[in-house]
Amino acid sequence: MQREEIDMSTPLDPEGSTRQTDARWRRERKPGLAATVAMCTAAATIAGGIVFEPVPARAAKADVFALVGGRVVTVSGNTIESGVIILRDGVIEAIGAKVTVPVDARVIDAKGLTLTPGLIDAFGGLGLPAPRRAGSATAAGGVGDTNPTGVPATPAPPTSPLSPHAMALDKIRIAEALKARDVGVTTALVVGRDGVLPGKSVLINLAGKKPEDMVLRQPAAQHLHLTTISRQYPSSLMGTVAYARQSLYSAIRYRDEWAAYERAPAGKKRPRFDPALAAWQDVLSGKEMLIVTATRENDIRRALALADELKIRVAVAGAARAFRVADLVKARKLPLLVSVSFDPPRAVTSAAGRDEEKEKREIEEAEKNPAALDKAGVVFALGSGFAPSFMAGIRKAIDAGLPRGAALRALTLEAARALGVSDRTGSLEVGKLANVVAWAGDPLEKKSKVKMVFVDGQLYEPPDRPDRLDGDDKDDEEKPAPTEDDVDVYDDADRGGRP
Amino acid sequence: MTGGAVTGRAARLLATAIGIAAASGASRPTGARAAAGKPALAIVGATVLTAGPQGTVAGGTIVIRDGKVAALGKGVAVPPGAVVINAAGRTVMPGIIDCHSHTAVESGINEGSDSVTAEVRIADVIDHRDVDIYRQLAGGVTTINVLHGSANVIGGQNAVIKLRWGSSPRDLVFQGAPRGIKMALGENPKRANARATGAPRYPGTRMGVEATLRGAFQEAQQYRREWQDYEKKLAAAGGGGKDKPVAPRRDLRLETLRDVLDGKVLVHAHAYRADEILMLIQVAEEVGFKVRTFQHVLEGYKVASEIARHGAGASTFSDWWAYKIEAQDAIPYNAAVMAARGVLVSLNSDSDELARRLYWEAAKVIRYGGVSEADALKMITLNPARQLGIDKRVGSLEVGKDADLVIFNAHPFSPDARVETTLIDGIVYFDRAADLAKRMPAGAPVATGGMR
Repeated sequence: MQREEIDMSTPLDPEGSTRQTDARWRRERKPGLAATVAMCTAAATIAGGIVFEPVPARAAKADVFALVGGRVVTVSGNTIESGVIILRDGVIEAIGAKVTVPVDARVIDAKGLTLTPGLIDAFGGLGLPAPRRAGSATAAGGVGDTNPTGVPATPAPPTSPLSPHAMALDKIRIAEALKARDVGVTTALVVGRDGVLPGKSVLINLAGKKPEDMVLRQPAAQHLHLTTISRQYPSSLMGTVAYARQSLYSAIRYRDEWAAYERAPAGKKRPRFDPALAAWQDVLSGKEMLIVTATRENDIRRALALADELKIRVAVAGAARAFRVADLVKARKLPLLVSVSFDPPRAVTSAAGRDEEKEKREIEEAEKNPAALDKAGVVFALGSGFAPSFMAGIRKAIDAGLPRGAALRALTLEAARALGVSDRTGSLEVGKLANVVAWAGDPLEKKSKVKMVFVDGQLYEPPDRPDRLDGDDKDDEEKPAPTEDDVDVYDDADRGGRP
Repeated sequence: MTGGAVTGRAARLLATAIGIAAASGASRPTGARAAAGKPALAIVGATVLTAGPQGTVAGGTIVIRDGKVAALGKGVAVPPGAVVINAAGRTVMPGIIDCHSHTAVESGINEGSDSVTAEVRIADVIDHRDVDIYRQLAGGVTTINVLHGSANVIGGQNAVIKLRWGSSPRDLVFQGAPRGIKMALGENPKRANARATGAPRYPGTRMGVEATLRGAFQEAQQYRREWQDYEKKLAAAGGGGKDKPVAPRRDLRLETLRDVLDGKVLVHAHAYRADEILMLIQVAEEVGFKVRTFQHVLEGYKVASEIARHGAGASTFSDWWAYKIEAQDAIPYNAAVMAARGVLVSLNSDSDELARRLYWEAAKVIRYGGVSEADALKMITLNPARQLGIDKRVGSLEVGKDADLVIFNAHPFSPDARVETTLIDGIVYFDRAADLAKRMPAGAPVATGGMR
């Protein structure tokens, strides 16, 4: 047993974190707060018979935590009504009802709290700059670019809508991304929002000081949004499908051309490097998934047809109408990243304008989609889908009938499975990443609060702001602009009275 | 209610079939329902307009088995165990085929960003939940040629579909139908009537349309040579080793145009004026492809002999014109004149609405042009089937062909004509009585008179 004297006047530094966190840390130590943090040596707590003076932990290492006495919802296995989780060096070292707390652990009294795996936002734009507003397509991020709150938004750098080689990682703003921890998100798939081929996503863990620190998988996947581009090819859905198909065939030729050159370069003309075609190679080889953003029911069929034709792995994101093809999704074991952005901005697609009744119906249908999928026995992940508030979307899905347990699964283990990282995260299991959320109240329950979030074993405590937890934070209100800011001028040729 | 046409057992069968197949937008796509193994269906007592060698059969019997016409004629025996539809007093005709449709397409019928987009495919964007499918079934339509729009000189590839309402997009597709492609001449591809802003898209003139066509097919010929060279080299290399040549890039645009040159893809060309019709014939013969159909072709009567000589068909309107400059010089005798000059003529809708009453469009051709009743009927059945290369399967009622047929309350060319039942592959996809029954609230008073 180590016994070291420490100066009690030294501010405790639980995670080597910011001054602000320190202040909260001290505040939370006041009696009466739910998450009272018991600072003492481990030995004092459990070494039966021998009573030591409770000595504040100098011995406790910054990256070793013992969460003691909480209700542990492992998601992958049984729930432990009163359990212990040991976090060390960013991974879960031990978990169970009876676990010996190591001497160097900082013990956190989790009585009354529920511990779950960190939430995963399986598909969204966490930390990415605000989208450009409608009408600014020509002057990208030009003067007068504001978000709906009237506050000038930082202009997004102009990107080609066809950039399979673009990296979401390059655009992440870390301070923005870290805000998601307030609602218990520890991990997120960050996907470029704009264009048809937005490039490659990155899977991040919400800890670190630089985007590079956060990377769980980079690049995570290639993406295809089944949308269109105004006044540019592809300007129709069939054009988008054709473009994706052609891209893959071109990538095949590119692969073969380079392979032939590498095999026998002598006497051959050096092939040209093409970043866009190079970007598809891991999809072709099967190493990388192509995640197809599907807003329509048949987009799911389109994604599968592309997968079948080109022998690639696909997942489907968005998938607001997936419940209509639940059997197909199940039969094909299609990974689904279901969006909780139920009222995305819409492009005006016909000269006749909008059908508001239809839009309303579609929103209601989308809200019921996760519940319907669950009822049909389809496994899926949930993602924010570029919604202004992830948690508000999750709550809507729960209000529309998705059981909270199913929602939690979709936000943890199923998300990890869909993204191919369930061997390292998504549940509370020994050896997995130390991504843990401590809830006061039932997880995802409306009145519950996220008291503590561990990401990679680092403690973060959200500020005590109920409005944030309800997802009503206006700071996050960033309604993106429609992708097509005007009526498709081509669409009424050859129909509607003028053949 | 239509009253008495359908026997009790058949009515139950129909109701069941409709409950699955023809319910509403909420019905689940269940795939093409195989008629195999089901009891035979016999339609008895009807006047059958076959559009085939049997002509009109009064008091005929049609026996349907496994989705095909198994027997047809007067005095044909009804097989034991067959479900019988008593169609006495009714007229039966082949399912109507619309050679120019944009029904059941999702998110745009034009990839209008480029003047040549042969790589795009309507088959990729079929919307199987488009309620116009059902509405057209109610108009006796069973097969449609879903075309790309006319914004481009060379548009995308078509999809010929059967209106198997309730099926998935893939199951709507008419398996075995030849591929086809849309071309367009005149005002639409030169964007004369478009409200497009920004930089104008080439071509902006009819000259440009012609040059675009030539240029595209020259590229396709080059592409064909490139692949032929590769195949030669591959054969020379003995199929392996270090010197194995790398296959050229698959260019789906040029590949499609090459297939046009090879006669594997049928060309459906939107055209109005006589001069541009002649232009396309000239370009086609020069670069080496055939125009399968001219679409709209309102000035076809001026160059009917030239169209016939090229071997093209014509798919036109009966009397829809004057909606733009190039559609001014039209006459209601167009179909009749072209047919008389030996052109294979069909009447199409190009409209979700007009498609529901194509039988009256055919009737107008009799009224205007003195076309025979039998020939008028073929303009919405066998002729479009031939134009689409599917006439071995559909277009007329003959033993061995698909059981796609329509039961009318009266002769389809009569102003009183109304579709009672539409079958595809021997399966009922529309039944007026069943539809009305579903629309009526329980216990509502139903008028019994005047419905015929």
